[in-house]
Amino acid sequence: MYGIMFKIKIQFTFMLMAVLFAVPVEVAISQGSTNSTGNPDITENNITFIDYPGFPEQHSTWNSIGYSPTHHKVFIGVSDHQKSNALYDYDVASRTMKKIGFIEDLANLRDHQWQGKVHSKFVEGPNGKVYFSMDGGVLRSVHLRDHPHGYRGGFFMKWDPATNKLTNLGMGLEYDTVKDMDVDPETGVMYGVSFPQVHFMVYDPSTNDFRDLGRLGGGHVPRVNFTDQWGNNYYVDWRQRLVKYEKSLGELVFAKESLPAFDDTPGTHIITGITAYAKDRENGIIYLVTYGAKLLAFHPKETGIGEIIDLGPVYELEEELWRPYVPNLAFGQNGKLYYFIGGHGNFVKDDTTIFMEMDPATGERNIIYEFHISDMVEATGSDVQDHEGNLYFAGRKRAQDAGDGTDVQTSESSAFMIKFNPEKEVQP
Amino acid sequence: MKKYTLALIVIFIFTGWLQSISAQYSFWQPEGESFAIEVSLENTDLKRLPIYRNAVQSLTVTGDHIIVGTSANEGLTPFIYVASLSQRELLSYADLNETVRGQRSIQSDFCRGRNDVLFAGTIANKDKNGTRGDGHLIQINVDSEGGIALRDLGSPVPGEGIFSVTCDADGTTIFGITYPTGMFFTYDIATGQTQVYEDLVPDESQLRTFRNYVQVPDMYLSRALIEDDQGMIYGSTGLNDIFYFNPNDNNFTILDDKLPEVWGRTSLGQVQSWVKSPDGILYGGNFGDGQLFELNPATNRVKNLGKPVLMHQLRGLAFGRDGKLYGVAGGPPGYGHLFSYSKNGEGFHIYGNPQFQMVAPGIEQGIRWRAFNMSRLVSSPDGKYIVIGEDESLSQLLIFAVDME
Repeated sequence: MYGIMFKIKIQFTFMLMAVLFAVPVEVAISQGSTNSTGNPDITENNITFIDYPGFPEQHSTWNSIGYSPTHHKVFIGVSDHQKSNALYDYDVASRTMKKIGFIEDLANLRDHQWQGKVHSKFVEGPNGKVYFSMDGGVLRSVHLRDHPHGYRGGFFMKWDPATNKLTNLGMGLEYDTVKDMDVDPETGVMYGVSFPQVHFMVYDPSTNDFRDLGRLGGGHVPRVNFTDQWGNNYYVDWRQRLVKYEKSLGELVFAKESLPAFDDTPGTHIITGITAYAKDRENGIIYLVTYGAKLLAFHPKETGIGEIIDLGPVYELEEELWRPYVPNLAFGQNGKLYYFIGGHGNFVKDDTTIFMEMDPATGERNIIYEFHISDMVEATGSDVQDHEGNLYFAGRKRAQDAGDGTDVQTSESSAFMIKFNPEKEVQP
Repeated sequence: MKKYTLALIVIFIFTGWLQSISAQYSFWQPEGESFAIEVSLENTDLKRLPIYRNAVQSLTVTGDHIIVGTSANEGLTPFIYVASLSQRELLSYADLNETVRGQRSIQSDFCRGRNDVLFAGTIANKDKNGTRGDGHLIQINVDSEGGIALRDLGSPVPGEGIFSVTCDADGTTIFGITYPTGMFFTYDIATGQTQVYEDLVPDESQLRTFRNYVQVPDMYLSRALIEDDQGMIYGSTGLNDIFYFNPNDNNFTILDDKLPEVWGRTSLGQVQSWVKSPDGILYGGNFGDGQLFELNPATNRVKNLGKPVLMHQLRGLAFGRDGKLYGVAGGPPGYGHLFSYSKNGEGFHIYGNPQFQMVAPGIEQGIRWRAFNMSRLVSSPDGKYIVIGEDESLSQLLIFAVDME
């Protein structure tokens, strides 16, 4: 089944401080201590890959996945990585993946308003509406930019599953894409981040009030922003410090200290910040993973910046602990974190994407699946969990090797959705 | 044998394709001494400027010192600061509000008086009734350690801000344009005597044209002034006209030659930047369509040297020690490109979107700082460095070391 090779388990000698107690502490982790205990209950029947029908040209998904609790559906944006983007929903009850339509058609976009991909998450806002944003995402958006063949700018979008209506809420910054966005579930105010100029935007669709709060990043655009339980939103600056949009003030608040990083983390990884998050809603914790391969437990506060607890590396390498790439994270109903390591040419095992389980209460880490990159090269998506406890990721794999020695270009891929449940078998 | 030859050709082509892809996605990161200085950072114990008060509007270099006047968001106040080229850090800053209250921008660029004393003009924040307060002339003294002393020289035209200034070569007189009306004034540095001229103020017909194009004074007043070797002061009026002021007889002359334009865009003409070459030729940048042009003061003929990039704006010009003219082309809502222009065959060379290494406490390993919105550009006195200032919510300095090889 999809090339699941084997599973092994790793446990660190020193258990981490229990994050539930919110004690800010630098965690000591031993190198390479393993045992054979762990979670024997997870088998290949706990995971399944689900194809996207009706879009043979599809290429990839990029964080473009989210769950609607009102409609019990997972929404996904699938791209041909050129100019066409299909909107899909997966109905949890009927286990049906459906192509709703192409976003350019649903939103009445003209050719000159082409979009390369959806790079944002899908988030349910007030009244069951689902929000996302559009990205250029290809070379011509970066370099042709203000040229007539270039990119006009990314849009904020609203999908109403009840009426099957897509509403284009307008553009962010001219020529910039909207790389990620999130929504205040109470007010519907949207928080966006732009590419490549790294501006933080606040947009209220109810009043059409759009605020550009300025540039926050350096030479790279952190890909993820996220919202806490009060509707405050978080991003990072070029020093990898949390920057909070303080809802009560209507302005940005900067953390004084940078998020934890390994001592030898290169600047290129610092400026990229957070790559994924997952929420433990019951205990008010938001787990973060950085581009410097640290797992963190963030305890947000309604006002001010909350505490950060360092949970250590996503994977214990012999050296360069900052290197593993984790653009995804989910928090299971069993209290454990799940994430895939690999993508963008960065793997901890040759040509292999691994799937990890991590218990934040004990610090135990298990590799539970390994995939050859021709089966799964990269997974994205943050905090996508349905009411049954299934976790979802947006996966993609490289084009199949023809077997004749022809080099497979890394840019060729196809996308599928990953459904996983650590506590029970899943069906496609 | 043919198989091997074919394989080599395929490998060669594939390698070239990969390099091409890589080159397209790379940004300009020059080897050598080029670097960025972190000047702005919110909520820190480091010596840094806070958010929304640090956009570079006036920029010059004296010896090792980069001296900057900033602009702030409406309702906030700007800074003067000094950074060191050799130490690659911010040395000192002064809040203008402690010397002149209620100002929003040190707008005008600096001009240099005797003994390297600098002068600049400001634009005030709006008053409660929506009108602007008085802009002021300020005097800036920077000591050898980078210490800043500011002096308020008052408001040359009450109710007006100061949009642009230049000094004469003797360092005795300041010439300026007021904002938003566009009056021309002279200010005697020794006596403080001010003379105001309304010759350049747009008439009703011109204002009607500006209104038809939804133009505001920031778009049609001369953003830069310059003195030629004969002491004439050059700038632009609206609608593509170039003027010079003769301080000997206090007369204004509108040149027969106009700013270069793309047809139909006469309303956009504005000199956004000036620089004078060692042989006395003036080089200017046109906001409207981003053309670089040459003006020979001996003949008052204008030559259009072309557009470095597709975008409008040409926001800064300076000569490097290699004799090339460096500039910033383009700007918001796109982003700027660093370019050079050489009269000796090469013409324009577009470096693109610069990305320099920035090292500071807490980021000792260095991070890449990429410049998008570059507002001003000057060279160090020896031409070794091209210094670029940003216009961002958190603006930094980028320093390009001119390679002599």
